[in-house]
Amino acid sequence: MATLFWLQTGACGGDSLAILSAETPSLEQLLTDHGVELLWHPSLSHQPMSQHDAIYQRIVSGEQTLDILCVEGSIVTAPRGTGLYDSYRGRAKMEMVRELAQQAGVVVAMGTCAAFGGVHAAAPNPSDCIGLQFDRDRPGGLLPPEWRSRRGLPVVNVAGCPAHPHTMTQTLAGLAAGWPLPLDGLNRPQAFFNTIVHQGCTRNEYHEYDIEELEPGGRACLFFNLGCQGPMTQAVCNSDLWNGVSSKTRAGVPCFGCTSPTFPREADLFSTPKIGDIPVRLPLGVERARYMAYKNLARAAAPARVRDKEMDV
Amino acid sequence: MARVELNLSLNRVEGDLEIAVVLEDGVVAEARTVGTLYRGFEQIMLGRAPRDSLVITPRVCGICGTAHLYSAVLALEQIWQVPVPPNAVRIRNLCLIAEGIQNDLRQTFLFFAPDFCNPRYRDQAWFAELTERFEPFRGSIYRQTLAQSRKAVEVVAQFGGQWPHSSYMLPGGVTIPPDLRRILACRAVLDDIQHWYEQVIVGAPLDEWLALDSADAYFEWLETPAHADSALGLLSRCARSLGLHGMAAGTRHMLSFGAWCDPQQASGRLLPGGFYDGDSATLSPFDQQLVNEHVRHSWFRPYPGGRHPLNGETVPDFQPNSDRYTWAKAPRYGDKAVQTGPLAELLIGGDALIRSLHAAEGGNAWLRQFARVRRIAYELAGARRMLEELAADIGQPHILNPAKSAEIDGEGFGLIMAARGALGHWLKIEDGVIAQYQIVTPTAWNASPRDSNGLPGHWEQSLVGVAVQDPDDPIEIGHIIRSHDPCLVCTVHMLDSGKKLRFAP
Repeated sequence: MATLFWLQTGACGGDSLAILSAETPSLEQLLTDHGVELLWHPSLSHQPMSQHDAIYQRIVSGEQTLDILCVEGSIVTAPRGTGLYDSYRGRAKMEMVRELAQQAGVVVAMGTCAAFGGVHAAAPNPSDCIGLQFDRDRPGGLLPPEWRSRRGLPVVNVAGCPAHPHTMTQTLAGLAAGWPLPLDGLNRPQAFFNTIVHQGCTRNEYHEYDIEELEPGGRACLFFNLGCQGPMTQAVCNSDLWNGVSSKTRAGVPCFGCTSPTFPREADLFSTPKIGDIPVRLPLGVERARYMAYKNLARAAAPARVRDKEMDV
Repeated sequence: MARVELNLSLNRVEGDLEIAVVLEDGVVAEARTVGTLYRGFEQIMLGRAPRDSLVITPRVCGICGTAHLYSAVLALEQIWQVPVPPNAVRIRNLCLIAEGIQNDLRQTFLFFAPDFCNPRYRDQAWFAELTERFEPFRGSIYRQTLAQSRKAVEVVAQFGGQWPHSSYMLPGGVTIPPDLRRILACRAVLDDIQHWYEQVIVGAPLDEWLALDSADAYFEWLETPAHADSALGLLSRCARSLGLHGMAAGTRHMLSFGAWCDPQQASGRLLPGGFYDGDSATLSPFDQQLVNEHVRHSWFRPYPGGRHPLNGETVPDFQPNSDRYTWAKAPRYGDKAVQTGPLAELLIGGDALIRSLHAAEGGNAWLRQFARVRRIAYELAGARRMLEELAADIGQPHILNPAKSAEIDGEGFGLIMAARGALGHWLKIEDGVIAQYQIVTPTAWNASPRDSNGLPGHWEQSLVGVAVQDPDDPIEIGHIIRSHDPCLVCTVHMLDSGKKLRFAP
């Protein structure tokens, strides 16, 4: 059995709620079939808090093995580096994270807040939030870049606001099984971040032919004008649908790039910054000059059903 | 006199909460709710584009994101005077209802009911049956609730792309139309939940259950096998055998903003809102000008008295060793502390059974929880109505984007009934960006600290007088606080016994 302790820091609870929506595996399957033993979850454990404190003490003293530590929420460091804007019985939560992390086989940052700071770290960052091992896109958060867990891993960043339900449960299932977990440059498990939101988006055909929406509510692509970050955001949202049925871009909502360390962007989130006619940020790996040439050709080649936005998405 | 102070650590999705309780001879003499987390959403909003509120503010709460989105969009629409097509209102309502069903199921069966599995109750006649149904991860109802609640949020995902945290409501409407595929997929989900609710949760067809209109009729019905064996029947029997129907009235004043916008007239509500004055037992229309927030006992820069949210401020001023004790402000209606939630919503909205039970026994911990389960029937009926209206009028617009020239400066507010009660966003736009943003959450009303006049908030009032049998596991307080839907689980911790300890973060 792999023991798991879940701690909430500066959080909205969205990752805990999202993981309840997982189905392959579900949270309950993790506990019954995947060898996860839940020592504590703040929303789901029903034992008295004295038991929480006892488990915590046993972990810190080394009596209780902790295989997986999940942290949900930003690491609050205000005021003046004390962390007391987020406390548990008068103790800064960030200190508790530090203590538990030293004992953990692996530390998992559940969601973009824990990974990179997230929405609470948006300017002006009133509570001085950072991530566990990143501060936005800079390496080094609560823990230094060279820090490694007992199992030799950096903090595993299951990014997303909230994290995708299956990205969470499948990461935990893999870790509980003891299988290798290759990470990308931002320490996110490659298996779930080696695809972009644009892949599998039902608006792709509109994008291919450069049929772009000017305002919300339509069927076409949201990238050129409405701030969609789908072509540069790495996540499974369109290849493993949310709640089994859809994704933001399918529903006509721009992707805000919530798995990225710089989420949320500082600028107007529903608009696309451009130089001339071309977005400042182009799809991952695309060259500007070629993109221009290709898009003009594509628009000219668009079939009427696409140009006239007749096709449902 | 043995005087001890308990420190209750209360975990909830909107942040963490602790409650300091002074016990005198085992009875709560005084309670203070302590919000232990400050995140600063109000500051994050300043200087941003108005529409950014639709992305940022749903992240206040992982369980009520749809409600925050709805409040934020209503506020923008009020400032810009944007008309909303009826189908957009229907889709918004449908999603808010689905989020509500999710919450009401999870709160009742994942967070409230498991307390009855406490070993202290092992000698109760109902204990074995209860454990079999409600024990976390093992109980039959617990597991069914996990499955049904994740189905419920598929409805939000159909129109919003995902749950939690999406931004599909925009000024003038919603981002996608109600095509037949989505309507039928939602209907299939809601039909399943309704069958389960009828058969397992209440033990009666929805119409019959909704027609039940008096306390006497309910207590009679509680004795019939169909309801006695249902999940609600079992919960009612347990809660009432422990006296929860005579406990924790708290403030008698109640507040509802009215549930679900009327598609034909967006300023109207399908279930009316208002203020219930518990002293005179009278209802009056809600007047948002009477809302103010006090910070006398909160860790914010002090100002005298209360301030309306449009003139409010949220400037942290952390003073741990003072008579200020929380990151929560104290919202008041007029000068009154109020409670909000499903009980307030149904009482003010006119549910005959809730009114009758309230008249018979007053507000209490059992009735609050009972109202939450009762509300699911309204939610299921409301969702069905929205789906039928959408299907009958499917070709109508789902969004009317405002002209750029309509996006003017100004001030406004958006008020909605979230799963936990009255939620309001108040904001000002100046020079095209947000210059003021204040959010008053349902939990802020319920969990509010003392105000400038020293008046305790609702939870603080409702705990006074409660006898705590075992300070090491004060389960009574768990029942009471959880009956208020404190977002997620509340847990209780005992400081050293036998001496007075001051809680000082």
